[in-house]
Amino acid sequence: MNKLNHDQLLSLEHPFVKIPVEKFRSSLRTSQKHIEKEIGNLTDKISEISKKSVQGSMEPSQVEAALEAIVNRLSTLKRKLKDIRADEVLYSQRTKVRLQHLQDFATIQTLDSDEYARWSRVRLNRIVIDYMLRDGFRGPAALLAKSEHIEDFVDIELFAQSAKVEEALERQSCAECLQWCKENNSNLKKIKSTLEFSLREQEFIELARERRSQEAIAYAKKHLTPWQETHMKEISHVMGLLAFPPETKCHPYKRLYDKSRWNDLIAQFRSNNFALQFFTPEPLLNVTLQAGLSSLKTPMCYQPEHRNANCPVCDPETLGALAMDLPLSHHFNSSIVCRISGQIMNEDNLPMALPNGYVYSYNALTEMASLNDGKVTCPRTGAVFNLTDVKKVFIS
Amino acid sequence: MEQYIKDFDKVLKKQRALETNDPLDRLIAIVNKAKEDIRADPSAANTSLAVLGKSFKSVSNTISEEQKELQSSVTKYSKALDKKFTADAMAAINPHAFDNKEQILRKTIALHYIRQGNFEVGDMFAKAKMFDIVAALKNNDLGPALEWATRHRNELEKRSSTLEYKLHRQRYLQLVESQQTNEAIAYAKQIGYFGTRHKREVQRLMGCLMFIGRIHKSPYADLFAPNASDDIQHMFTRDYCSLIGLSQESPLYVSLTVGTQAMPTMIKMATIMKAKRTEWSQQSELPVEINLTDDTKFHSIFACPVSKEQATEENPPMMMTCGHVICKESLQKLCRGINSHRFKCPYCPQESMASQAKNVYF
Ligand SMILES: [Zn+2]
Repeated sequence: MNKLNHDQLLSLEHPFVKIPVEKFRSSLRTSQKHIEKEIGNLTDKISEISKKSVQGSMEPSQVEAALEAIVNRLSTLKRKLKDIRADEVLYSQRTKVRLQHLQDFATIQTLDSDEYARWSRVRLNRIVIDYMLRDGFRGPAALLAKSEHIEDFVDIELFAQSAKVEEALERQSCAECLQWCKENNSNLKKIKSTLEFSLREQEFIELARERRSQEAIAYAKKHLTPWQETHMKEISHVMGLLAFPPETKCHPYKRLYDKSRWNDLIAQFRSNNFALQFFTPEPLLNVTLQAGLSSLKTPMCYQPEHRNANCPVCDPETLGALAMDLPLSHHFNSSIVCRISGQIMNEDNLPMALPNGYVYSYNALTEMASLNDGKVTCPRTGAVFNLTDVKKVFIS
Repeated sequence: MEQYIKDFDKVLKKQRALETNDPLDRLIAIVNKAKEDIRADPSAANTSLAVLGKSFKSVSNTISEEQKELQSSVTKYSKALDKKFTADAMAAINPHAFDNKEQILRKTIALHYIRQGNFEVGDMFAKAKMFDIVAALKNNDLGPALEWATRHRNELEKRSSTLEYKLHRQRYLQLVESQQTNEAIAYAKQIGYFGTRHKREVQRLMGCLMFIGRIHKSPYADLFAPNASDDIQHMFTRDYCSLIGLSQESPLYVSLTVGTQAMPTMIKMATIMKAKRTEWSQQSELPVEINLTDDTKFHSIFACPVSKEQATEENPPMMMTCGHVICKESLQKLCRGINSHRFKCPYCPQESMASQAKNVYF
């Protein structure tokens, strides 16, 4: 029971390693692109110089100057690459540190060891930070990462750019998000994203809202027609807006004019952004919490007389409320908890029944009796009995 | 896992090789070389340029290959990760289970960090009454905490908490340390209330008055522990949590630790159920048993050893005269519905009647 299943738990850690590796990869790709482009240009340049020199249209001194210019361009490229190289190092190191953290986990033996508790706490902080970042709380997330010394285990800076795009969408501006689409064009195509079309639609809707029909038509020609093969139906819907004012109650135009579409855009951007960066679509905190709460939830949690202050689900204000709609746990095996001491009753600490049928642990009852002249009080009924009257209970 | 680390180290080695032997430096070097050759012998400019053209091409090809090789090894590595870390956590999520409960979740997180002593994080994340007191403590202002502790003196004493005494003591020591002699003497009265319970220490505290001004070189220097303020904060939050009925261990920590252990089973279950077009989170009860460690069992669960069903109010656990417990329905089956019928316990040789069986309460 207390043995750890490493492989199962490790297999949950895909994003933890995948995210930095993919960032590493994309920085490499960027530097590669820069290098190939500039070096290609310079190769051409050198053969051009060579040709001119052979033809005699370039003096050796001019050749020297031209070569000097090439050296300068190479130096400029080198400076440009410095930042990208720094990213490469950052993400490769981050990958390494995370792999090491998982390796440390693989050496932990049991669930009740201090090492596991520590690892568990780090995991909690990791997924809470992820939750905070998605929730827009970058300040507390950064503070927490710093105070727990786990900056390398979280990806705070990756949320900085996306926050800017989201803020712009909140201000009802598509420009930043369109720019983001452009930068990530090829990857968005891979996940069959329709975000760009939704943004174009929205910009058109805003023109229609202001009744700037001429501009709207020009916009549609330029930005909507490229999508006609796949989105003809949507395009004809928005074009219809030109005939209907923003106050219309007519379907589907009322829905198209609805400002809540901006929230949908934010949601669409988020899910695209998460997919591109290998973040899970929903926070890991939620799914882990759901699994944990359901595993802990019993019918007793919602009966005040059975409340256990140590049980997370028993708190109606916090986790009990979160667990409300989740399934109850299910058990084929009994486990009996002493209501006096909170200890598990088993062969080492037998369950004992008082004459009134209430069951407590041997340890708790004998301790109570030793302080009260051999008498025990049932905490749930107030009845008093002699310890000699209690009876062993057998739970098979 | 070890193999994955080794494989990544190979990638890192390639990266480092590229870093130390910057490809652009190599290109710069050969262009500079050509330039110098031409300066030294302008008549051979064409030859030098031809050499440059060739070597520039060959070096840039090498660079491109090295770069590509590193890139493809990272790509390969990234793909290999997908094979190792296969669990799709999202298989087990119900994206709507926490709808409209964001505030509750935030509050739970905030409370967790408060108990951990990371008040700043908790404070920034949510606001609660306790935060102000803790913030004051952080600024060495004991006032609000003292006010709270005095108001809850009876409850604290019932828990044999020494919080109030510790707070007064700290206030008094602050006065001694800042050499406010008269104030310290006046404050000593506050400590008098605790005189009987902390007799020896109270005597030492009064002794401090003799050494005002050079207290850190006195026999009482040990009273001024450097982390006394942290200890008081910890004590305050612990007592505060206990008084308002918060648990010993952070509920968020317990839930997430249990959740992490349960995830693999949950994912498997959710995937099977999805194939049958059902959702685990929509069930009233989990279809599988999730084993809990002893320290996360908070309620007695009685599963009848005969029927394997969990006891309910309608089907309560019954103890036979031999001490073995089964559920009422199983008992009825064993005696074939006749309360005076004698039957053998399924777990021991003893015979008894259903009428002799007794309700037990766990
Ligand atoms: Zn409970």
